[in-house]
Amino acid sequence: MTSHTGRLYALAFALVVFFLAWALVAARPWSTAAADPRLKAQAVREARLRSEARLVNRVVAQRWTLYRRELHARTVQIASVRARTAQLAAVSIAAPVSGAVRVVTLPPLTITRTS
Amino acid sequence: MERRVFRAMGTEIELLVHADGADAALDAAEQEFHRLESLLSRFRADSELSRLNRDGAVDASHDLLRVVTLSLDGRERTGGRFDPTVHDALVAAGYDRTFDEVASVARSDTWSPPSAGGEVTLDGSRIELEPGVRLDLGGIGKGYAAERAAELLATAGPCLVNAGGDIAVRDGSWPVGVDALTLELSNCGLATSGRDRRRWQRGDRELHHLIDPKTGEPADSDVLRVTVVASDAVEAEIAAKALFLSGAERARTEADAAGMPAVIVTADGRTLLAGGIA
Repeated sequence: MTSHTGRLYALAFALVVFFLAWALVAARPWSTAAADPRLKAQAVREARLRSEARLVNRVVAQRWTLYRRELHARTVQIASVRARTAQLAAVSIAAPVSGAVRVVTLPPLTITRTS
Repeated sequence: MERRVFRAMGTEIELLVHADGADAALDAAEQEFHRLESLLSRFRADSELSRLNRDGAVDASHDLLRVVTLSLDGRERTGGRFDPTVHDALVAAGYDRTFDEVASVARSDTWSPPSAGGEVTLDGSRIELEPGVRLDLGGIGKGYAAERAAELLATAGPCLVNAGGDIAVRDGSWPVGVDALTLELSNCGLATSGRDRRRWQRGDRELHHLIDPKTGEPADSDVLRVTVVASDAVEAEIAAKALFLSGAERARTEADAAGMPAVIVTADGRTLLAGGIA
C-alpha cells in the first residue's frame, strides 16, 4: 500500500516536472522577439525629426535675435531722421541770409510778385 | 544804370546793372536764361528735363544735376512741403501746357490727384526716377537761372536779376517793392510764392499751381502769397513754397525761428511781417 501510493506520487511529480520542462522549452527563452521593421523605421524618423526641429529652432532663434537687433537700429535711425527733419523744418528751411535786409522809404527799382 | 527786359521761362525777366557799356554782360545773362530754359523746361519736348521725365533716367548735364540736387535737398529740409515730384499732380490738375494756354482749355471739375514724393536716385551724374515719377523744376529753375545770370552780370558791376518775382542780387543795395513795403536787399535772394497768379478754373473750382505734395491737389492755405528773403534765390524759392503750405500763423512762427525775413499776405488781406522785418 505504501509503496503503491509512493509510486503514484512519484509518477504525478514526474508528470508535473515533464510538463513544466515542456512549457519552458516551448517558451524558447534563449531567442529574442524579432522587432517590427515599421516600428524601427518610425523610431529612426522620429529621431531625425527631433534633430531637425532642434536645428530649426536654433536658426529661428538666431534670426529673431538678428531681426530684433536690426529693428532696434532702424527704429533709432527713423526717430533720429524724424527729429532732424522736424528740427530743420522748424528752424532752418532756408540758409541764413548773408546780406542785409531792411525796410526803406526809397522808391523801388523793381517789384516782386508771385512767380 | 542799364536795364533789359525780355521773356523767358514763361515769365518776364528783368536785368539791372550799375555799369555803363554792360551790353556783353547783359547778352551773356540773357543767353544764360534761354540756355537754362532749353534744359529745364517741362514744356519743351526736347529739353533735358523732358527727356528725363520721358525715359526715367538720364546722364545729366551739370545744371540739371545741380537743380535736381538742390530740389531734393529742399524736399528733405522742408519735410516734403517743397517737392519736385509734383509734376503729375500739376498736369492732372490742368497745368499741362504753358500757363498762357492753360486758361483757354475747358475741363471737368473732377480728377484723380496723383501722389507725390517718389524716389529720385542720383548716382554720379546719372539721375534715375522711380517708375511713374516725373519732375517739375519750374519755380526752382527760375531761381537757379536768376542766380546764374546774376553771376554773369556781376562781372560788369553791381546787379539785380528779377525772374518774374525770383530775385538775385549781387553787390550794392537794391530797393525792391514787396506789396506796400520797400525792402533794401544786398547780396541775397528773394522769392514770392502765392495763389494770386497762375490760377485757372476747373468746373466751379478755382485752382492754382502750388500743389500740396501730401494731397496732390492745389494747396488749401490761408496764405495768399508769401515773400521770403534768403541767402540766394533758390533758397528763397524753396522756403517761400514751404511757408505757403504751412499756413499764415505757422509760417510766421517758422520765419521768426529761422530769422528768415518774410512778408506774408493772408487771404483775408492781412500783412504779417516775420523773421526780423519790422
